[in-house]
Amino acid sequence: MNKPMHIVFAESSDIVMEGLVGILTKSGLKFQISKAKTFDDIEICHSRKNCDLIFINPSLIHNNSKVFNALKCQLQTPKWVGLVYSFHDQQILSLLDAIITISDSPETIISLVKSIINSDPLQEHKKLLDVLSEREIDVLKLVATGLANKEIADKLNISIHTVITHRKNISQKIGIKSVSGLTIYAVVKKFISLETITE
Amino acid sequence: MYQTTNIYLSPDLKMSDIILNNPYLMLLLEHFGIEVPLQEKSLQEICLENDLNTELVLTFANLYNGANNASADLFSHKDVLAIVNYLQKSHRYYSEEIYPNILNTIRQMSLMNHHKEMVLVEKFFMDYMNEVTEHLNYENEVVFPYARGLFEQLKNESPVFRKSTYAVSEYKEHHNDIEEKLDDLRNLLLKYLPQENDQVLRRKVLFSLYELEYDLNIHSQIEDLILIPLVTSMEKQLKATR
Repeated sequence: MNKPMHIVFAESSDIVMEGLVGILTKSGLKFQISKAKTFDDIEICHSRKNCDLIFINPSLIHNNSKVFNALKCQLQTPKWVGLVYSFHDQQILSLLDAIITISDSPETIISLVKSIINSDPLQEHKKLLDVLSEREIDVLKLVATGLANKEIADKLNISIHTVITHRKNISQKIGIKSVSGLTIYAVVKKFISLETITE
Repeated sequence: MYQTTNIYLSPDLKMSDIILNNPYLMLLLEHFGIEVPLQEKSLQEICLENDLNTELVLTFANLYNGANNASADLFSHKDVLAIVNYLQKSHRYYSEEIYPNILNTIRQMSLMNHHKEMVLVEKFFMDYMNEVTEHLNYENEVVFPYARGLFEQLKNESPVFRKSTYAVSEYKEHHNDIEEKLDDLRNLLLKYLPQENDQVLRRKVLFSLYELEYDLNIHSQIEDLILIPLVTSMEKQLKATR
Protein backbone atom coordinates (compact mmCIF):
# COMPACT_ATOMS: atom_id res chain seq x y z
CA MET A 1 0.00 0.00 0.00
CA ASN A 2 1.20 3.50 -0.73
CA LYS A 3 2.25 5.59 2.20
CA PRO A 4 0.35 8.86 2.56
CA MET A 5 2.54 11.73 1.46
CA HIS A 6 3.42 14.49 3.82
CA ILE A 7 2.50 17.95 2.59
CA VAL A 8 3.53 21.13 4.34
CA PHE A 9 1.60 24.37 3.85
CA ALA A 10 3.55 27.56 4.36
CA GLU A 11 0.55 29.74 3.59
CA SER A 12 -1.07 32.19 5.96
CA SER A 13 -4.51 32.27 4.33
CA ASP A 14 -6.76 29.52 5.68
CA ILE A 15 -9.15 30.00 2.76
CA VAL A 16 -6.42 29.26 0.25
CA MET A 17 -5.06 26.35 2.26
CA GLU A 18 -8.39 24.68 3.03
CA GLY A 19 -9.47 25.16 -0.58
CA LEU A 20 -6.37 23.44 -1.84
CA VAL A 21 -6.74 20.62 0.70
CA GLY A 22 -10.33 20.13 -0.51
CA ILE A 23 -9.18 19.84 -4.12
CA LEU A 24 -6.41 17.42 -3.24
CA THR A 25 -8.72 15.27 -1.11
CA LYS A 26 -11.01 14.74 -4.09
CA SER A 27 -8.06 13.66 -6.21
CA GLY A 28 -7.77 10.37 -4.31
CA LEU A 29 -4.20 11.13 -3.28
CA LYS A 30 -3.44 10.04 0.26
CA PHE A 31 -1.76 12.71 2.30
CA GLN A 32 -1.12 14.20 5.68
CA ILE A 33 -0.68 17.90 6.18
CA SER A 34 1.29 20.16 8.47
CA LYS A 35 1.15 23.93 8.74
CA ALA A 36 4.22 26.10 8.87
CA LYS A 37 4.58 29.81 9.43
CA THR A 38 8.32 30.21 9.04
CA PHE A 39 11.28 28.46 7.44
CA ASP A 40 12.13 27.12 10.88
CA ASP A 41 8.69 25.54 11.09
CA ILE A 42 9.24 23.87 7.73
CA GLU A 43 12.51 22.44 8.91
CA ILE A 44 10.88 21.11 12.07
CA CYS A 45 8.02 19.54 10.08
CA HIS A 46 10.54 17.83 7.84
CA SER A 47 12.57 16.53 10.74
CA ARG A 48 9.48 14.95 12.27
CA LYS A 49 8.38 13.25 9.10
CA ASN A 50 10.03 13.64 5.72
CA CYS A 51 8.04 16.06 3.56
CA ASP A 52 7.25 15.20 -0.03
CA LEU A 53 5.73 18.48 -1.03
CA ILE A 54 5.78 22.01 0.31
CA PHE A 55 3.22 24.59 -0.77
CA ILE A 56 4.64 27.99 -0.10
CA ASN A 57 3.41 31.54 -0.43
CA PRO A 58 6.26 33.23 -2.32
CA SER A 59 6.00 36.32 -0.13
CA LEU A 60 7.75 34.25 2.53
CA ILE A 61 10.79 34.20 0.27
CA HIS A 62 10.92 37.99 -0.28
CA ASN A 63 14.08 39.35 1.28
CA ASN A 64 14.82 35.84 2.51
CA SER A 65 15.94 34.12 -0.67
CA LYS A 66 19.31 33.19 0.85
CA VAL A 67 17.65 31.42 3.76
CA PHE A 68 15.25 29.78 1.33
CA ASN A 69 18.01 28.49 -0.92
CA ALA A 70 19.95 27.16 2.02
CA LEU A 71 16.89 25.31 3.30
CA LYS A 72 16.08 23.94 -0.14
CA CYS A 73 19.60 22.55 -0.47
CA GLN A 74 19.52 21.15 3.03
CA LEU A 75 16.19 19.33 2.73
CA GLN A 76 16.76 18.15 -0.85
CA THR A 77 13.84 15.74 -1.26
CA PRO A 78 10.69 17.87 -0.96
CA LYS A 79 9.32 19.66 -4.02
CA TRP A 80 8.47 23.32 -3.63
CA VAL A 81 5.28 24.64 -5.20
CA GLY A 82 4.45 28.35 -5.04
CA LEU A 83 0.89 29.53 -4.39
CA VAL A 84 0.59 32.64 -6.49
CA TYR A 85 -2.27 35.08 -6.05
CA SER A 86 -0.49 38.38 -6.06
CA PHE A 87 2.43 39.86 -7.93
CA HIS A 88 5.82 38.29 -7.30
CA ASP A 89 9.19 38.93 -8.80
CA GLN A 90 10.01 36.39 -11.51
CA GLN A 91 13.36 35.86 -9.85
CA ILE A 92 11.66 34.55 -6.74
CA LEU A 93 9.25 32.31 -8.62
CA SER A 94 12.12 30.78 -10.55
CA LEU A 95 13.53 29.40 -7.31
CA LEU A 96 10.53 27.07 -6.97
CA ASP A 97 9.93 23.72 -8.65
CA ALA A 98 6.46 24.73 -9.85
CA ILE A 99 3.71 27.25 -9.23
CA ILE A 100 -0.05 27.16 -8.87
CA THR A 101 -2.02 30.32 -9.52
CA ILE A 102 -5.33 31.25 -7.95
CA SER A 103 -7.20 30.80 -11.24
CA ASP A 104 -5.92 27.26 -11.97
CA SER A 105 -8.65 24.62 -12.34
CA PRO A 106 -8.76 21.66 -9.90
CA GLU A 107 -7.77 19.33 -12.77
CA THR A 108 -4.68 21.38 -13.56
CA ILE A 109 -3.67 21.47 -9.92
CA ILE A 110 -4.13 17.73 -9.41
CA SER A 111 -2.24 16.76 -12.54
CA LEU A 112 0.56 19.14 -11.60
CA VAL A 113 0.82 17.65 -8.11
CA LYS A 114 0.73 14.09 -9.47
CA SER A 115 3.40 14.80 -12.03
CA ILE A 116 5.64 16.57 -9.56
CA ILE A 117 5.60 13.77 -7.01
CA ASN A 118 6.24 11.07 -9.61
CA SER A 119 8.90 13.02 -11.37
CA ASP A 120 11.07 9.93 -11.57
CA PRO A 121 10.12 8.69 -15.07
CA LEU A 122 12.03 5.40 -14.62
CA GLN A 123 9.68 4.36 -11.85
CA GLU A 124 6.63 4.66 -14.05
CA HIS A 125 8.27 2.64 -16.75
CA LYS A 126 9.28 -0.18 -14.46
CA LYS A 127 5.77 -0.69 -13.15
CA LEU A 128 5.00 -2.33 -16.48
CA LEU A 129 7.38 -5.21 -15.93
CA ASP A 130 6.93 -6.68 -12.48
CA VAL A 131 9.08 -9.71 -13.22
CA LEU A 132 12.50 -9.91 -11.63
CA SER A 133 15.44 -9.82 -14.01
CA GLU A 134 18.17 -12.47 -13.79
CA ARG A 135 20.54 -10.04 -12.15
CA GLU A 136 17.92 -9.06 -9.61
CA ILE A 137 17.40 -12.72 -8.78
CA ASP A 138 21.18 -13.08 -8.24
CA VAL A 139 21.06 -10.17 -5.81
CA LEU A 140 17.90 -11.46 -4.12
CA LYS A 141 19.49 -14.88 -3.48
CA LEU A 142 22.42 -13.27 -1.70
CA VAL A 143 20.23 -10.85 0.27
CA ALA A 144 18.05 -13.76 1.35
CA THR A 145 21.03 -15.70 2.69
CA GLY A 146 21.85 -12.75 4.90
CA LEU A 147 24.73 -11.09 3.08
CA ALA A 148 25.37 -7.36 3.51
CA ASN A 149 25.38 -5.00 0.52
CA LYS A 150 29.17 -4.77 0.53
CA GLU A 151 29.55 -8.56 0.43
CA ILE A 152 27.01 -8.85 -2.38
CA ALA A 153 28.85 -6.19 -4.36
CA ASP A 154 32.13 -8.07 -4.00
CA LYS A 155 30.60 -11.41 -4.92
CA LEU A 156 28.87 -10.15 -8.04
CA ASN A 157 31.64 -7.76 -8.96
CA ILE A 158 29.39 -4.72 -9.03
CA SER A 159 29.35 -1.48 -7.05
CA ILE A 160 27.48 -1.09 -3.77
CA HIS A 161 25.43 1.56 -5.48
CA THR A 162 24.24 -0.94 -8.09
CA VAL A 163 23.35 -3.44 -5.36
CA ILE A 164 21.21 -0.82 -3.64
CA THR A 165 19.46 0.06 -6.92
CA HIS A 166 18.72 -3.63 -7.56
CA ARG A 167 17.33 -4.03 -4.06
CA LYS A 168 15.12 -1.01 -4.47
CA ASN A 169 13.74 -2.34 -7.73
CA ILE A 170 13.17 -5.82 -6.29
CA SER A 171 11.17 -4.39 -3.39
CA GLN A 172 9.16 -2.21 -5.70
CA LYS A 173 8.28 -5.11 -7.97
CA ILE A 174 7.28 -7.68 -5.37
CA GLY A 175 6.15 -5.41 -2.53
CA ILE A 176 8.50 -6.82 0.09
CA LYS A 177 11.18 -4.73 1.76
CA SER A 178 12.57 -6.46 4.85
CA VAL A 179 15.37 -9.01 4.60
CA SER A 180 13.37 -11.66 6.45
CA GLY A 181 10.42 -11.05 4.12
CA LEU A 182 12.66 -11.35 1.07
CA THR A 183 14.04 -14.61 2.44
CA ILE A 184 10.56 -16.11 2.64
CA TYR A 185 9.84 -14.94 -0.89
CA ALA A 186 13.07 -16.50 -2.18
CA VAL A 187 12.21 -19.83 -0.55
CA VAL A 188 8.65 -19.79 -1.90
CA LYS A 189 10.00 -19.10 -5.40
CA LYS A 190 12.66 -21.80 -4.88
CA PHE A 191 15.53 -19.41 -5.54
CA ILE A 192 17.11 -20.76 -2.39
CA SER A 193 16.40 -23.80 -0.26
CA LEU A 194 15.24 -23.68 3.32
CA GLU A 195 18.41 -25.53 4.34
CA THR A 196 20.68 -22.71 3.12
CA ILE A 197 19.24 -20.32 5.66
CA THR A 198 18.78 -22.60 8.62
CA GLU A 199 22.47 -23.47 8.54
CA MET B 1 -9.33 3.87 3.24
CA TYR B 2 -8.73 7.44 4.41
CA GLN B 3 -11.02 9.00 1.85
CA THR B 4 -14.22 7.69 3.32
CA THR B 5 -17.71 9.07 3.36
CA ASN B 6 -17.28 9.51 7.10
CA ILE B 7 -18.49 12.82 8.34
CA TYR B 8 -16.34 15.46 9.94
CA LEU B 9 -17.47 15.31 13.55
CA SER B 10 -18.77 18.02 15.84
CA PRO B 11 -19.21 17.90 19.64
CA ASP B 12 -23.01 17.94 19.62
CA LEU B 13 -23.36 14.69 17.61
CA LYS B 14 -24.65 11.67 19.45
CA MET B 15 -21.72 9.47 20.41
CA SER B 16 -23.62 6.29 19.55
CA ASP B 17 -24.37 7.61 16.04
CA ILE B 18 -20.71 8.46 15.55
CA ILE B 19 -19.74 4.88 16.37
CA LEU B 20 -22.52 3.28 14.35
CA ASN B 21 -21.17 5.21 11.38
CA ASN B 22 -17.60 4.00 11.99
CA PRO B 23 -17.29 1.07 14.42
CA TYR B 24 -13.50 1.48 14.65
CA LEU B 25 -14.25 4.31 17.04
CA MET B 26 -15.01 1.64 19.64
CA LEU B 27 -11.23 1.55 19.98
CA LEU B 28 -11.23 5.27 20.73
CA LEU B 29 -13.66 4.66 23.60
CA GLU B 30 -11.47 1.90 24.97
CA HIS B 31 -8.25 3.88 24.68
CA PHE B 32 -9.85 6.84 26.48
CA GLY B 33 -11.40 4.55 29.08
CA ILE B 34 -14.97 5.58 28.16
CA GLU B 35 -17.48 2.90 29.08
CA VAL B 36 -20.65 1.80 27.31
CA PRO B 37 -23.67 2.00 27.33
CA LEU B 38 -23.61 5.46 25.88
CA GLN B 39 -27.35 6.17 26.11
CA GLU B 40 -28.37 9.19 24.06
CA LYS B 41 -25.42 11.33 25.10
CA SER B 42 -23.53 13.62 22.77
CA LEU B 43 -19.77 13.51 22.35
CA GLN B 44 -19.48 16.64 24.48
CA GLU B 45 -21.58 15.21 27.31
CA ILE B 46 -19.54 12.01 27.30
CA CYS B 47 -16.35 14.06 27.54
CA LEU B 48 -17.64 16.13 30.46
CA GLU B 49 -18.70 12.99 32.29
CA ASN B 50 -15.32 11.36 31.82
CA ASP B 51 -13.37 14.52 32.58
CA LEU B 52 -11.81 14.63 29.12
CA ASN B 53 -10.97 17.62 26.95
CA THR B 54 -13.69 17.65 24.27
CA GLU B 55 -11.36 19.16 21.69
CA LEU B 56 -8.90 16.31 22.22
CA VAL B 57 -11.47 13.56 21.89
CA LEU B 58 -12.94 15.29 18.86
CA THR B 59 -9.57 15.58 17.16
CA PHE B 60 -8.74 11.90 17.75
CA ALA B 61 -12.22 10.85 16.61
CA ASN B 62 -11.80 12.82 13.41
CA LEU B 63 -8.47 11.06 12.83
CA TYR B 64 -10.38 7.78 12.94
CA ASN B 65 -12.78 9.25 10.41
CA GLY B 66 -9.99 10.05 8.01
CA ALA B 67 -9.17 13.68 8.81
CA ASN B 68 -5.63 14.61 7.97
CA ASN B 69 -5.18 17.94 9.67
CA ALA B 70 -4.48 17.13 13.31
CA SER B 71 -2.32 19.78 14.90
CA ALA B 72 -0.86 20.46 18.32
CA ASP B 73 -1.96 24.11 18.16
CA LEU B 74 -5.31 23.36 19.78
CA PHE B 75 -3.79 21.78 22.85
CA SER B 76 -1.92 22.88 25.91
CA HIS B 77 0.67 21.19 28.09
CA LYS B 78 -1.93 19.88 30.50
CA ASP B 79 -3.37 17.68 27.72
CA VAL B 80 -0.13 15.72 27.67
CA LEU B 81 -1.23 13.48 30.52
CA ALA B 82 -4.45 12.46 28.77
CA ILE B 83 -2.59 11.88 25.49
CA VAL B 84 0.02 9.70 27.14
CA ASN B 85 -2.66 7.70 28.95
CA TYR B 86 -4.46 7.18 25.68
CA LEU B 87 -1.34 6.00 23.89
CA GLN B 88 -0.43 3.68 26.74
CA LYS B 89 -3.87 2.07 26.66
CA SER B 90 -3.57 1.53 22.94
CA HIS B 91 -0.22 -0.18 23.55
CA ARG B 92 -2.03 -2.63 25.75
CA TYR B 93 -4.48 -3.31 22.93
CA TYR B 94 -1.60 -4.11 20.60
CA SER B 95 0.47 -6.24 22.90
CA GLU B 96 -2.23 -8.05 24.87
CA GLU B 97 -4.88 -8.46 22.25
CA ILE B 98 -4.18 -8.00 18.61
CA TYR B 99 -0.60 -9.31 18.28
CA PRO B 100 -1.29 -12.50 20.27
CA ASN B 101 -4.44 -12.92 18.19
CA ILE B 102 -2.56 -12.77 14.92
CA LEU B 103 0.17 -15.07 16.19
CA ASN B 104 -2.46 -17.53 17.25
CA THR B 105 -4.10 -17.54 13.83
CA ILE B 106 -0.73 -17.95 12.10
CA ARG B 107 -0.04 -20.96 14.32
CA GLN B 108 -3.40 -22.43 13.34
CA MET B 109 -2.40 -21.88 9.72
CA SER B 110 0.75 -23.94 10.31
CA LEU B 111 -1.41 -26.82 11.52
CA MET B 112 -3.36 -26.81 8.27
CA ASN B 113 -0.68 -25.81 5.83
CA HIS B 114 2.34 -28.08 5.73
CA HIS B 115 4.44 -26.13 3.27
CA LYS B 116 7.82 -25.64 4.82
CA GLU B 117 7.67 -21.86 4.35
CA MET B 118 5.10 -21.65 7.14
CA VAL B 119 7.88 -22.15 9.66
CA LEU B 120 9.51 -19.02 8.30
CA VAL B 121 6.29 -17.05 8.41
CA GLU B 122 5.78 -17.93 12.03
CA LYS B 123 9.33 -16.92 12.79
CA PHE B 124 8.92 -13.72 10.79
CA PHE B 125 5.95 -12.72 12.88
CA MET B 126 7.58 -13.68 16.18
CA ASP B 127 10.66 -11.59 15.34
CA TYR B 128 8.43 -8.73 14.31
CA MET B 129 6.44 -9.00 17.55
CA ASN B 130 9.61 -8.90 19.60
CA GLU B 131 10.76 -5.81 17.75
CA VAL B 132 7.45 -4.07 18.32
CA THR B 133 7.36 -5.06 21.97
CA GLU B 134 10.78 -3.53 22.38
CA HIS B 135 9.58 -0.30 20.79
CA LEU B 136 6.40 -0.22 22.89
CA ASN B 137 8.43 -0.82 26.03
CA TYR B 138 10.78 1.97 25.05
CA GLU B 139 7.84 4.34 24.75
CA ASN B 140 6.27 3.09 27.99
CA GLU B 141 9.50 3.30 29.94
CA VAL B 142 11.32 6.25 28.38
CA VAL B 143 9.17 8.51 26.23
CA PHE B 144 5.95 8.60 28.24
CA PRO B 145 7.56 9.08 31.67
CA TYR B 146 9.74 11.77 30.11
CA ALA B 147 6.67 13.64 28.80
CA ARG B 148 4.89 13.27 32.14
CA GLY B 149 8.04 14.41 33.96
CA LEU B 150 8.31 17.56 31.85
CA PHE B 151 4.73 18.45 32.69
CA GLU B 152 5.31 17.88 36.41
CA GLN B 153 8.43 20.03 36.33
CA LEU B 154 6.53 22.84 34.61
CA LYS B 155 3.87 22.69 37.28
CA ASN B 156 6.44 23.05 40.06
CA GLU B 157 7.74 26.47 40.95
CA SER B 158 11.41 25.60 40.53
CA PRO B 159 11.84 23.47 37.48
CA VAL B 160 14.94 21.33 37.16
CA PHE B 161 15.61 20.67 33.52
CA ARG B 162 17.19 17.36 32.69
CA LYS B 163 18.57 16.63 29.30
CA SER B 164 16.42 14.42 27.12
CA THR B 165 17.58 10.85 26.76
CA TYR B 166 15.41 10.15 23.80
CA ALA B 167 15.79 11.23 20.22
CA VAL B 168 12.90 11.92 17.91
CA SER B 169 14.80 10.54 14.94
CA GLU B 170 15.25 7.13 16.54
CA TYR B 171 11.56 7.07 17.24
CA LYS B 172 10.67 7.80 13.62
CA GLU B 173 12.90 4.96 12.42
CA HIS B 174 11.00 2.49 14.62
CA HIS B 175 7.66 3.54 13.19
CA ASN B 176 8.75 3.09 9.58
CA ASP B 177 10.06 -0.36 10.40
CA ILE B 178 6.83 -1.45 12.03
CA GLU B 179 4.75 -0.42 9.04
CA GLU B 180 7.16 -1.92 6.54
CA LYS B 181 7.01 -5.42 7.98
CA LEU B 182 3.22 -5.35 8.14
CA ASP B 183 3.20 -4.61 4.42
CA ASP B 184 5.63 -7.46 3.77
CA LEU B 185 3.48 -9.95 5.64
CA ARG B 186 0.36 -8.87 3.82
CA ASN B 187 2.03 -9.24 0.45
CA LEU B 188 3.41 -12.67 1.32
CA LEU B 189 0.01 -13.94 2.49
CA LEU B 190 -1.89 -12.53 -0.44
CA LYS B 191 0.49 -13.00 -3.33
CA TYR B 192 3.08 -15.67 -2.70
CA LEU B 193 2.62 -18.22 0.08
CA PRO B 194 1.31 -21.54 -1.27
CA GLN B 195 -2.10 -22.40 0.12
CA GLU B 196 -3.38 -25.55 1.80
CA ASN B 197 -6.77 -25.48 3.51
CA ASP B 198 -5.92 -22.18 5.12
CA GLN B 199 -7.76 -19.55 3.13
CA VAL B 200 -10.24 -18.74 5.89
CA LEU B 201 -7.44 -18.40 8.43
CA ARG B 202 -5.51 -16.27 6.02
CA ARG B 203 -8.50 -13.97 5.65
CA LYS B 204 -8.63 -13.68 9.43
CA VAL B 205 -4.99 -12.68 9.57
CA LEU B 206 -5.48 -10.11 6.83
CA PHE B 207 -8.50 -8.63 8.59
CA SER B 208 -6.59 -8.40 11.86
CA LEU B 209 -3.63 -6.81 10.12
CA TYR B 210 -5.96 -4.24 8.60
CA GLU B 211 -7.48 -3.49 11.98
CA LEU B 212 -4.04 -3.20 13.49
CA GLU B 213 -2.79 -0.90 10.77
CA TYR B 214 -5.85 1.31 11.08
CA ASP B 215 -5.13 1.93 14.76
CA LEU B 216 -1.34 2.10 14.39
CA ASN B 217 -1.69 4.76 11.74
CA ILE B 218 -3.74 6.98 14.05
CA HIS B 219 -1.42 6.16 16.93
CA SER B 220 1.61 7.45 15.06
CA GLN B 221 -0.22 10.54 13.84
CA ILE B 222 -1.08 11.39 17.44
CA GLU B 223 2.55 10.96 18.41
CA ASP B 224 4.05 12.82 15.46
CA LEU B 225 1.58 15.67 15.11
CA ILE B 226 0.46 16.25 18.68
CA LEU B 227 2.60 14.65 21.36
CA ILE B 228 6.06 15.41 19.99
CA PRO B 229 5.30 19.09 19.26
CA LEU B 230 3.90 19.46 22.79
CA VAL B 231 6.98 17.81 24.29
CA THR B 232 9.23 20.10 22.26
CA SER B 233 7.29 23.14 23.42
CA MET B 234 7.51 22.05 27.08
CA GLU B 235 11.26 21.58 26.69
CA LYS B 236 11.53 25.10 25.28
CA GLN B 237 9.51 26.61 28.09
CA LEU B 238 11.56 24.83 30.73
CA LYS B 239 14.78 26.06 29.19
CA ALA B 240 13.41 29.59 29.13
CA THR B 241 12.37 29.57 32.79
CA ARG B 242 15.75 28.41 33.95
